Amino acid sequence: MTSPATATQPSGANSGIAAFTQEWANALTGTSYLPMTQAQLKQLLNRLARQLAGALLAEPFDLRAGQRVGTELVAAHIASAEALGRTVEVVQLRLVRDLGLVAEDVADRLARLLAAVTTGYTRALRDRTLDEQESIRRAAMAQRSKAEEALRASEARFRHQATHDALTDLPNRNLFTERLTTALAAPRRDTDRVGLCFLDLDQFKRVNDQHGHQAGDRVLTEVANRLRQALTGHLVARLGGDAFVILIERTGGTRDVIAVAEAALAAVHEPAAVAGHEVTVRTSIGIVERQVAGTSANELMRAADCTLHWAKAAGGGRWMLYDAERDRRELTRQALTAAIPAGLDRGEFYLDYQPLASLSDGRLLGVEALVRWRHPELGVLRPDRFIGLAEETGLIVPLGGWVLAEACRAAGSWSVTGGTPFVSVNLAVRQVHRPDLVQDVRNILERTGLPPERLQLEITESAMMNPADEPVRALRRLADLGVRIAIDDFGTGYSNLAYLRDLPVTELKVAGEFVAGLRAQEPQADERIVASLVSLAHALDLTVTAEGVETAGQAERLRAIGCDAGQGWHFGRPEPADRILARLS
Amino acid sequence: MRRPDWAPDEIDIERPSVARMYDYYLGGSHNFAVDRAAAQAMVAAVPEAPLMAQANRAFLRRAVHFLADAGVRQFLDIGSGIPTVGNVHEIVQQVAPDSRVVYVDTDPVAVAHSQEILADNDQATVIQEDLRHPDRILRHPELRRLLNLNEPTAVLIVAVLHFVPDDDRPAELLRTLYDALTPGSWLVLSQASDEGRAETERSDAEMVYQRTGSPLWFRNRSELTTLFDGFELVEPGVVWVPQWRPETPESSVNAETSGFLGGVGRIGD
Repeated sequence: MTSPATATQPSGANSGIAAFTQEWANALTGTSYLPMTQAQLKQLLNRLARQLAGALLAEPFDLRAGQRVGTELVAAHIASAEALGRTVEVVQLRLVRDLGLVAEDVADRLARLLAAVTTGYTRALRDRTLDEQESIRRAAMAQRSKAEEALRASEARFRHQATHDALTDLPNRNLFTERLTTALAAPRRDTDRVGLCFLDLDQFKRVNDQHGHQAGDRVLTEVANRLRQALTGHLVARLGGDAFVILIERTGGTRDVIAVAEAALAAVHEPAAVAGHEVTVRTSIGIVERQVAGTSANELMRAADCTLHWAKAAGGGRWMLYDAERDRRELTRQALTAAIPAGLDRGEFYLDYQPLASLSDGRLLGVEALVRWRHPELGVLRPDRFIGLAEETGLIVPLGGWVLAEACRAAGSWSVTGGTPFVSVNLAVRQVHRPDLVQDVRNILERTGLPPERLQLEITESAMMNPADEPVRALRRLADLGVRIAIDDFGTGYSNLAYLRDLPVTELKVAGEFVAGLRAQEPQADERIVASLVSLAHALDLTVTAEGVETAGQAERLRAIGCDAGQGWHFGRPEPADRILARLS
Repeated sequence: MRRPDWAPDEIDIERPSVARMYDYYLGGSHNFAVDRAAAQAMVAAVPEAPLMAQANRAFLRRAVHFLADAGVRQFLDIGSGIPTVGNVHEIVQQVAPDSRVVYVDTDPVAVAHSQEILADNDQATVIQEDLRHPDRILRHPELRRLLNLNEPTAVLIVAVLHFVPDDDRPAELLRTLYDALTPGSWLVLSQASDEGRAETERSDAEMVYQRTGSPLWFRNRSELTTLFDGFELVEPGVVWVPQWRPETPESSVNAETSGFLGGVGRIGD
């Protein structure tokens, strides 16, 4: 680049450029953040000022120098509207003067140079702005897709957590139900069959109790792993606690499911090391297998669950196959049990009475109250259909209480010249063990006006195993009141002779099965047993009633033995009290 | 435009971000309309807000230069925001190319942007984390990859502590950082102060930042000095940021209008 003849740059320009640079730097201060030191800024501006001065004087005049200066300013982050404005102002006002530039068309050139600076600056600023906008948008988009990915991942994780068991990572009840429902809803063929194995560890509670819950959890994890490995291809799910289930789809029949159950048993029964001990875990399995058509998830689950309970009840460590007939029977029993309270409320129970007759003169000594249930659908039910259920469930307490009260109420109203019969009522073990038994009986007697000696309570031997027990003390107090106490079915239970001496018993009822053996002409073992019982009872001042007397021959032999009274068809079947009383009067 | 239902809520570019507002104050274009609207509201309330940000950024530059000259080669910049012009790694890697810088910010877009800028720089990285969880920052694998805290490290908490109210126990946060540092390490703090400000200015500014989800919590000189507990403040102590080792005497004139107090401290040997 040559100096044009028409322009001169006088000496002293160095001090001039320094002054200009300082002025420019001051003008830029505060327009935007300048990422440099003051010294660096001045160095830059000094260089740019020289370029501008050079361009003003250069021949030929090159506007691109102005554009380059504008671009460089922006590149150095001197990039704001204010910075441009002030630059134009400072250059316009000071550059020519401070640098003492002399040229004939300098004003003209300055205007065009500043236009070029502005153009270069603005273009660079615009590009920079667009770049920055693009970059921040890209960042926002990158962040958005990252967040969406995270959301999808968390949804997948959530889905896994919602469908899997946290401890064992097996599918949980939700997933199992989903899969079972799908299998049932969309069978491939009409003849498709499906099977379930319900597993429950036997006495798992003991592992927890003995080794702690952590050990219990380890056993569950171990069992889960073994089932998973042994039963690939089938869905193994944990239903909760120590209950697992295996879904077998498209089975070829019961045998396929049994094979799965056998494999599961074998896998679980391998000994496991828990807390340094070798623990043998056993499991029970309930199997159900049937055609998909016509069944539902609920039915299958219930059937498998119920079969599992049978397997447990049968001792555990085994599989069992669902038995529809057995299920129906049990359902009926359960339904019957459930209906007892309502039956009591609605007065569906009533009493029949069976005579107890003297063997010496045939006189009616007493009657045994026997409960009947006039079931609204099943008709009249005898006690063997429901007493056992009531005893299992505890419903025997309200039912027995009703029988006692009703028998006393009825008996209190009887009046027979020449000896009104006593009423004999069976007391279940649970009733005997109730702490308020004595008070209850006392209240009933008071309320009904029945004299205590006309009430006989029949209890079984098992109700009074230990003479020191509270039940025995209660019976003693009842006996002290004058109530008769009979041991029912004597000879079939423990037949503990020792307690007969210490207990407040007044009578023994000899079980019917001994009486049944009395039909032979010549004395048999049964007759000798009954004879011994009678003489033993008499030795202890007890009377003896024989149950199940069906024939005159039996009655005759019993009389010959010395038995006091008899009960059975020979003396009369159970029937309403008024008919018995009518015959007496 | 309605956002589709599946779009996660946490990317909320309809809410102003303090990081992008700060970029706007500094003259950058890494911001959206919503950020500019909030920043303009701030400028209406406090006209010198851009100058305050610039003064603060200049303080950061001088402090980092100072530390690089002092031989520090590891930097942990918490609350780095949008690292546009004059960011830490550019400054220190000019002085010493082997310097390592870990940026931390809680703003996901700022972090994504930093990742883009740092993609080719294996001496600098960024972590998305909050100053309120220094333990998580300290055990972050990216930090562990780049920084050896057994060697002197500078922790920069510049223009961010005013987003941490006293309820978040800033002294405990700093204590956690202090405990992780070795003697010879440094702490650079700066934050907004309302010393000498009119009450209306203060409440207007607070209102603007309330909408960003990062409300302001001003501190005065003695409060900020207390937060240097364990560090020895170097001259001139906690001052208005333009007064901290100014390059020229005139650049610290009217320093209090910067609205930012700052200082640099060192853990003694």
